[in-house]
Amino acid sequence: MTKIIEITSVPLITSTGPETLPASSDMQTIGAALLTAALLLPGVVKAETPPEHASLSLKYLNYEEKQAGLKRITANSPSLSLTTPLGADWSLDATLTSDDVSGASPRYHTAISGASRMNDQRTAGDVAFTRYFPRASLTVGTAYSTEHDYESRALSATGNFSSEDKNTTWTVGLGGSHDRINPTNLIVKNETKKTISIMAGVTQILTAEDIAQLTLSHSRGEGYFSDPYKALDRRPRERNQTTLLARWNHHFLGTGGTGRFSYRYYSDTYDVKAHTLTAEYVQPFSQGWTITPSLRVYSQSAASFYFDPVYDAQLGAPFPPGYQFASTQPSSADQRLSGFGALTFGFKVSKQLTSDWTVDIKLENYEQRGNWRLFHKGSPGLAALKAQSIQLGISKQW
Amino acid sequence: MKVIVKKTTTMLLIASAALALSACGTIKPVQPWEKGNLAKTAMTFENDRLESRYGEHIYTSRESASGGAGVGGGGCGCN
Repeated sequence: MTKIIEITSVPLITSTGPETLPASSDMQTIGAALLTAALLLPGVVKAETPPEHASLSLKYLNYEEKQAGLKRITANSPSLSLTTPLGADWSLDATLTSDDVSGASPRYHTAISGASRMNDQRTAGDVAFTRYFPRASLTVGTAYSTEHDYESRALSATGNFSSEDKNTTWTVGLGGSHDRINPTNLIVKNETKKTISIMAGVTQILTAEDIAQLTLSHSRGEGYFSDPYKALDRRPRERNQTTLLARWNHHFLGTGGTGRFSYRYYSDTYDVKAHTLTAEYVQPFSQGWTITPSLRVYSQSAASFYFDPVYDAQLGAPFPPGYQFASTQPSSADQRLSGFGALTFGFKVSKQLTSDWTVDIKLENYEQRGNWRLFHKGSPGLAALKAQSIQLGISKQW
Repeated sequence: MKVIVKKTTTMLLIASAALALSACGTIKPVQPWEKGNLAKTAMTFENDRLESRYGEHIYTSRESASGGAGVGGGGCGCN
């Protein structure tokens, strides 16, 4: 995903505040100086000026997931990210990622026997250019990724427009992607998947300590959505998705920390409805240390064509009761389309080493279960999925 | 018909929420010199791009819901 709004990391106004001004009892002079300093401060939302510094970040992710009796996927992913101003009116953002994924994946539900072994290398990159105007910016980006059986290309354009006082920013975006699928089992050949996405959002400064954002997105996709490596997986060739995302950040004056909260509502034409709540708290300490505990709560309903692990008396697993071989009805036994709830606990520690160098580490623990679903009933009979991840990062700005 | 009514209601709710958020007049405008805390990196909506990318990729691979914060991401096999 391309970022839609990024608030520039700017020198705090306090650093150009009264303490650096020549001593003066003339309050008017101080007021005027403060105002001048404030007007030099770039807008809080990145709509009108390029980033002040260039930065390069390197991160490494190790991700491992398992269910009872089966070690599933392991992924190792190094990533590189570059942000740099280009002259007075432009900036460039680019990322490069490589995923080395291996392990086992159940062919239906969470069945261990017959789980397919897999090993895949995914390489993904994207680049975006932003042009800045007074009170506005336009970002055009492209993304590409390749795996041995999957290739994806994407294009996007996002515009930001700020109000005169820079307290409100409106965002609109348009994106499209074109994917090509060539599974190794040759179940299909040269299949494609195309999506078009639109979004509109507003970011509003509510108080000197609160900023909120509301984003509405809609995407329409058509093509091959099935999982070629799963048994009896046949999904509708059209999938339209709608999301509403609300985010709110609050600065606590008492602790100097920041609370970051979000809620996302998701709905699609597979009849999946999902709710995602996130909360994290960023607490800075002396000598450049910062800790960030986080919590994520997720719940989704099952897709209309997902079937529970109850099998036909004659045919046995993985066939649902009354299964017709000639049928073209959609069906899936993919755990990701079942109804479940999930919890993630995270903890991040970062340390600013010098004014230019920062290192960080983040640990996360994820678990999903059918009976953790928050609304209605979860899908019964599936093994819980657990995952652990560790991220190591280092970044430099200049 | 029921679907259309439901969709229209949803859109209206969303539109009014968006309007409430931009809240012409109901929010006291924050002055430029009051924005010091808002300019802190932690107050931004995407302060660690690679961390966000990892999160999006992992959750897209394990859950049905995806997206919400922008446009332009490519797909993946993610089986």
